[in-house]
This record gives sequence, C-alpha cells and structure tokens, in this order.
Amino acid sequence: MGKTIVEKIMAKAAGKECVSPGEYLKFGIKDTFIQVGSDVGPRTIEAFEKLGWDRLWDPTKIIIAPEHCGSYSRTRDKVTNRESHRLNSEWARKMGVPEENILELGRIGNCHHLAIEKAWALPGGVYLHSDTHCPTVGGVGCFGVNLSAAETSFLRTGWMWFRVPKSIKFNVTGKLQDGVMGRDVLEYILSQIGPSGALYQVMEFTGPVMEKMSMDGRLSMCCLSVFTGAKLGIVNPDQKIINWFKARTKVHFEPQVSDPDAVYAKTYEYDGSKIEPQVVIPPNRHTVKNIKDVEGTQITTAFIGSCASGRDEDMRMAARILKGRKVNSKVMFNITPGSSQAMARVDKEGVISTLLDAGCFICAPGCGMCPGFYTPLAKNEVCIASSTTNSPGRMGEESAQVYLGSPATVAASAIEGKITDPRKYL
Amino acid sequence: MACTFKGKVWVFGDNLDVDKEIIPFREREQGLMRDENYGKWVMTPVDPDFPKKVTKGDIMVVGTNMGCGHGHYEGIHGMNQLGISCVIAESVDRNFFKNSIDLGLPIIECEGVKQKVKEGDVLEVNLQDGKIKNLTNGGVLNFTPLPDFLLEILESGGLEPYITKQIAAGKL
Repeated sequence: MGKTIVEKIMAKAAGKECVSPGEYLKFGIKDTFIQVGSDVGPRTIEAFEKLGWDRLWDPTKIIIAPEHCGSYSRTRDKVTNRESHRLNSEWARKMGVPEENILELGRIGNCHHLAIEKAWALPGGVYLHSDTHCPTVGGVGCFGVNLSAAETSFLRTGWMWFRVPKSIKFNVTGKLQDGVMGRDVLEYILSQIGPSGALYQVMEFTGPVMEKMSMDGRLSMCCLSVFTGAKLGIVNPDQKIINWFKARTKVHFEPQVSDPDAVYAKTYEYDGSKIEPQVVIPPNRHTVKNIKDVEGTQITTAFIGSCASGRDEDMRMAARILKGRKVNSKVMFNITPGSSQAMARVDKEGVISTLLDAGCFICAPGCGMCPGFYTPLAKNEVCIASSTTNSPGRMGEESAQVYLGSPATVAASAIEGKITDPRKYL
Repeated sequence: MACTFKGKVWVFGDNLDVDKEIIPFREREQGLMRDENYGKWVMTPVDPDFPKKVTKGDIMVVGTNMGCGHGHYEGIHGMNQLGISCVIAESVDRNFFKNSIDLGLPIIECEGVKQKVKEGDVLEVNLQDGKIKNLTNGGVLNFTPLPDFLLEILESGGLEPYITKQIAAGKL
C-alpha cells in the first residue's frame, strides 16, 4: 500500500519502515535547525533556569534570530525587544551556540521566510519552531509543525512526540485567472470545507494549478492551511523547488513525494479557473466571501507582509498594480518584506522604488503589522491585509477591523481606499 | 494527577479560538498577564464570570475544533490555574491537543459527548480505561486512551517536569 509524503517523511525521521495515521511517535531529530525568536527567548531562558537545565541538546542546531519583533522598541514582559535579543544572544553564547548562528538585524526576516532563504527547512525534512505557522514550509515539501509549549523541552532534549495525521488530497485543476493568487485558492478551500474541515489532518495540494504555482504561492497556501484545523499543508516538491535548495545548501536532503496509490481520508476537486479573489470578513477567521460581495468597503490601512506574504512574488504583484499610480491619500500602506534577502532581490528589479514612488511605507523585514508590533491599528481603523489572521486586537486596537485578502487585492484596495477587485488593474 | 477524577461540567460551543474566545489576544500581547494569573481571563469573552464560577476539579465539555487558531497556550495555563481537571471535546485542534498534554492538562477527544452531557452534570473520568461515567444520568461514554508515554507526561504535570524527572533519573 502506498504512503503519502507526510507518512514517508515521518517514517524516515522516526527511523521506521513505515507509519500509519493515528500512530504516536517519539523520536530524536538530528538534522533540524531551530530558531529561538526574541519574543519567546526570555521565557525560554527563565524556564531553563527554573528547571535547573544547564545544556542544550545540540548548540550547533540552534539559531538565535530577533525575528518576530526585532527592530521594534516594544516592551513585552517588561523587557524591550532589543534587550531580549541581547539576553538571548548572551545566553546562547554561554550555552555554546556558534557565533554564525546568532543573527543580528539586517540579516534577518520573518522566521519562516528565513528558514527557506537559509535552507534550514529542506524538502523531505522536519522543521520545528515555536510558531503556529511552521507549516509554511510545507510549500517546499518539508514537514513543518509548531512546537509551542514544547519548545524549551525540545531545546534540551532534541526529541519530540507526534501523532501521525491522516491526509486529505485537494486537487486543483484548470488555470488561475491573472490576479488570483495562491492565497485565494486556500481561502476558497476554507470557504468550502469550513474551519474544522481538515481537522488534525494534512492538506496535500495537487493538480495542474499547484504544478504551475510559484514556490511563494505554495508557501503562502501552506502557511494558512492551519485555519481549516489542519495540522499542516504540503505540496510534493518538484524540480524548481529542489533547484532552489541545491543552490543554497551543501547539506544532503532527500525529497519525498506521495506514492500514486497513497491512501487519503478524502479527496476534493476544485476548478481553479473559477476561483475569484477571496476576502475574509472580520471578526471570524473563517467567514470568506467572493470579492464582489465586499467591494467598496472603506479602508484606512493596507498591509502586505508576515509569513503569509511579503515574498518576492507578493512585492512584485504590488509593484505591478501600483506602477504609475498612488496610494490613496487617506490610506497608510505598510509593505513589510519577508526577509532582507527578498528585499534585496526585488530591489534589483526596481520593485522597492516603485512602491516608494507610489507612497507605500516600507517596513523593516520581519513580521510587520501582523501581530500588531509595527504601526499597530488605532481605534476603529479598517484594514485590509495579506497577513495571517484577524482576531480582534490581533493587529492593534480591539475595535479595529481586519479584512484579509491576497497581496493583489490589498494593493488594488490601497489605491482606491476601499476594497477593490485587483483584476481591473492588471 | 491521578488517572481518575470527578468533576462538575461546564459546556461550551464549537470552534473556540485561543485568541478570541479562550483568552483575548490583546490582553495577552499587552503583557497584562505578566503576573501569570491567566486564569482570570479564561473564557471571559464568552462568559465574563466563568473564572469566578468555576471550582477546582471542574470539567469543560466543548464542541468541535477546540482551541483553533494560533498555537498560543496561555489559556491552558489559565485552565490549570483555575483547577480545571480535564477538557472533553468533540474534536480538538492539533496545537491545542499537543499544548494541553505538554502542559499537563488532560484532554479527551470524545465524539458525541455534547449530546450525552449537560451543564452541571457530574462526570467521573478514567484516562487509562478511556471511560467517562455520567454520575448524574448514569450514562457511559468511551474514548480511545492516550498511549502510556503520554499518560506518563500528563502524570508528571507536563513535558518539562517529565524531562526534569528523566534527567534526575540519569536517563537524559
């Protein structure tokens, strides 16, 4: 009987011939890097001290990156971000983390963007982090799951427990319209299956639309897969993905793909040609509408960034829509590149200067507005964002409303000052 | 934690989001809970008096997709602080399931529980046998018990105390 990509990766990591859904596994992970962000670092250090733990499982596998809130002067738990990064770095040096693993501002980005840029998450590999959106790396065929409350324990032991999930296949046929992005496909699927439609299961995306989709689009879809209740989203890696990593790392990796006779709990078929730009309506994460149902809603703020966007393709799309145009005088448009590397790449193509000419606010690479760290929303503001979620207070004041759409929809809306179908600008 | 416990039921709905229904995200981010008294915020967006009404040993019975949204786990700390003995759900989000066990809060997936249990009922739960007895109406519900190594983690009070014990025993 065939196995899915996730079953194959989990079996390989656990050193087993094969694994089946429902099985619990506990295994040590040799070849993963784990980033400790500045927002959780002080708690980790405190926990190590309180528990009397004096060493890390493998200091060479630990990365210290001031990512979630690196350059913002926010104070959390009475410690400023700068202070928290300094504490993290000093602690890491003391614990034997090599100097090249301790990153400073100017060399960072959002944690999951960084994992792809630096090839810490590899096709066929396991990627762990204490952040919800680890499954982002499913876009390159990597098994990424959130450690959350288990991060400290993993740093000490290098092992973790998992339950093998069932997989659901989402076959997307046809061809996406221009202006419809990976994100729209995922939100459309959410609208069809609901917030628990893939509960504790893997969303495996296949079909002609996925084959054609860029790595950036795939990463965005897998990032957001968690909002259907999924454990993770994943796409079988192809040659273009493998080439990306071969150009970036000398580390040996073994990409996995699902067997043709792999067993799925369910299979869904969608015609990608019919998918319209999708918008998530506040305050729930799972109320999704076609853009025509919300067109004209006035906005005060627009945002592209976070692990769900801010990649090369997203910034290029924004520049394509904004070229020769201006951001509406009443709108603040925050564009946060996912990483310094992504920013440098698109800058060479003139994307950044187009965005600046249009009147965008280019924020330091990282998570940007998504968790409300940079330019948080003021009372009663209305925002359209291509970030992760919209729970009240997520991006600032609780009275602010957050609509979610693709980077194309966000850019078009920023021009008009109201939610706008991006297709008219393409 | 013993493998058997008894408690009074509080019933909640489906799709409880960790940042929306379980603990308001803004409170979490503002660091207002720095005193680590997360308990006083638990479920307040749904029932502002819940933390005051609940007593040690009480059981939460919830619907499908419990703890959806982000992997934030302050709500689980809060439930532990309030003395919630376990959460029984129709189904559970992956992050919430893992975080509950890792923080020592027994979590049970039991399809059909909402039909068989009402608010105020008293339940007796046996984690090892996978049995829930409704002492109020005499009904019995079954669930698939967790494997022994996860029960051991729960019994230790979560992953961190479990590992500390392993270190002390020279196993790590």
